[in-house]
Amino acid sequence: MTVTRRNVLLGATATAALLPIAARAQTAEVVIGIIYPFSGASAQQGVDAQKAYEIAAEIINNKYDFDLPLAKDAGLAGLGGAKIRLVFADHQADPQKGRAETERLITQEKVCAVIGTYQSAVAVTVSQICERYSIPFISADNSSPSLHRRGLKFYFRAAPHDEMYSAAMFDFFDAMKKKGTRIETLSLFHEDTIFGTDSGNAQLKLAGDRGYKVLADIKYRSNSPSLSAEVQQLKAANADVLMPSSYTTDGILLVKTMAELGYKPNAIVAQDAGFSEKALYDAVGDKLEGVISRGTFSLDLATKRPMVGKINAMFKEKSGKDFNDLTSRQFMGLIVMADAINRAKSTDGDKIREALVATDIPGEQTIMPWKRIKFDEMGQNNDADPVLLQYVGGKFVTIAPPQAAVAEAVWPMK
Amino acid sequence: MTAETIIQSLASGLLMGLLYGLIAVGLALIFGLMDVVNFAHGEFLMIAMYATFFLFAFFAIDPLLAAPLVAAALFVFGAVVYLLIVRFAVRAKANAGMVQIFSTFGLAIVMRGLAQFFFTPDYRSVTHSWLGGKTISIAGIFLPVPQLVGALVSIAAFAALYFFINRTDFGRALEATREDAGAVALVGIDKNKVFALGWGLGAALVGLAGAIMAVFFYIYPDVGASFALIAYVTVALGGFGSVFGAFAGGIVVGLVEASTALILPPSLKSVGIYAVYLLVVFIRPRGLFGSI
Repeated sequence: MTVTRRNVLLGATATAALLPIAARAQTAEVVIGIIYPFSGASAQQGVDAQKAYEIAAEIINNKYDFDLPLAKDAGLAGLGGAKIRLVFADHQADPQKGRAETERLITQEKVCAVIGTYQSAVAVTVSQICERYSIPFISADNSSPSLHRRGLKFYFRAAPHDEMYSAAMFDFFDAMKKKGTRIETLSLFHEDTIFGTDSGNAQLKLAGDRGYKVLADIKYRSNSPSLSAEVQQLKAANADVLMPSSYTTDGILLVKTMAELGYKPNAIVAQDAGFSEKALYDAVGDKLEGVISRGTFSLDLATKRPMVGKINAMFKEKSGKDFNDLTSRQFMGLIVMADAINRAKSTDGDKIREALVATDIPGEQTIMPWKRIKFDEMGQNNDADPVLLQYVGGKFVTIAPPQAAVAEAVWPMK
Repeated sequence: MTAETIIQSLASGLLMGLLYGLIAVGLALIFGLMDVVNFAHGEFLMIAMYATFFLFAFFAIDPLLAAPLVAAALFVFGAVVYLLIVRFAVRAKANAGMVQIFSTFGLAIVMRGLAQFFFTPDYRSVTHSWLGGKTISIAGIFLPVPQLVGALVSIAAFAALYFFINRTDFGRALEATREDAGAVALVGIDKNKVFALGWGLGAALVGLAGAIMAVFFYIYPDVGASFALIAYVTVALGGFGSVFGAFAGGIVVGLVEASTALILPPSLKSVGIYAVYLLVVFIRPRGLFGSI
């Protein structure tokens, strides 16, 4: 085909005519990538997370009378009322798939920010890709302390990490000891990916610093078909407190195997994950009366801050579940990211990053019991105070720290 | 390490091993019969567990009573899978091996996807049952009742299978077809019928295992994966094609797994299994009881 002048002109006109539409489409919506396991062994976490993010987007995109950033206007005022659109990607709990999917989100779906990922091991690769493309990444619910110490400029985490959580546990042990409870020995039980390993290391170090004796430090293979050998070692050690860092599947098997092998510890203080999941309590809740888990969220806050109850009701209507430690952090992850994009008045990665660095949200404007959200030079929010929750009579009550507690701890557990 | 810990470990390992054997035997049976490795074996286990769960959740049928029903349902399912999929896959003119692998592998992915779509990825469990949560304690050694019953069911199933293969006409037809599928056609045995029944029987056995497992294990769409891997090792260890090799292989895997966890950190307990497996492959490539 010969290219005539008329053809060129025609093409140019057509392109010019399309341009404004494309430009308008850009400002009308802000695309954010949400990357979770939607299939595989932890698909359930992804399905729950999706609902938490959709509720957060709903509140941002419409008018609600909540004292949360962006709730009162429809869309992002800083971008002319642009709406948030979420693109969900499935990483199947596999760091390599996480890498590929993040790349796809950035290059194909043109997202301006990424939030994820549940598994800390996947957050490692996802955040590296985001760094390479200068796209800000919020680690909504990853808790491994090593994540923010890798010198990444585009990594941010509003929630606490496992050293902060573990410190809260040991503060609680110290306080219980002062009251005369015998807590001298610990058994650590953690899975073998970055989450369990980091958590176990943090706990081992804290135990040494504060003078507790670790009788068993068991690292097990996640998704094992059987945990009886591991539980026997825990039983033989018979420490005052059992401290598991396990995902849901292993948590269920752990509790069942403990019952089968006749092991009943005085207390279980869990590093969240599986131990904040409804599925675990549906399966083995009857054996867990009095179990303590760390968390960042507490429904008890609803009595002081009514919007927590209202937002929880919205979430429950959509998912059939109450907010838990994970879904509440996911919800806040999107609020924090959207707030930064709104202040950046742009979808440019560097500008959003600058806005994230300048983030300063007072605790009262969140659904969490945190002091505030402000990132340090590594992108970690050090003002996110963890809480300890105890499972009593089928629900969680806050027992520590003292300023957030609504009840005394039941010790030993039943 | 006390004597009690060692005995407890070996006892748990033995019970688990007998179950591994029961899970693996269907795989060995099908492979021995027609040289096809069923890559959807773990997913057969998964639907058996879901079937048990749904019978419990909707009709309050205890897993112990559900076991024969689930085995029967899986029998039909296995035969249908042969008649609709595998029968055509083995007829492939080119690359027959690959076609077989991909047909059952594809089936596995489809089953997993459908399970996730229809049953949701939530973790299910049978919350209360006649066996669940009960334990027998003998001199400080704890034997969980579900695994104990599972081990007994496994032994009974293998005994029945032995009788069936050696003493019945169908069993002999099965053996004959395995020996020479072409020759049996000459004496009037319908190869397709025998293969379909073989697939049914293999699936029924894993169905039995699934019903017992549902008592003490959590259920979700991917639950088959970790057990299927062990089943492949069990079958390869015991000897491909040997039904009783699967029995012995299961026990070996269970005991090795338990004793490895006594010596090495528990996160390395599968290292023992694979080390023994490698050793067998080097020294006796056809497996402990293999005849091929």
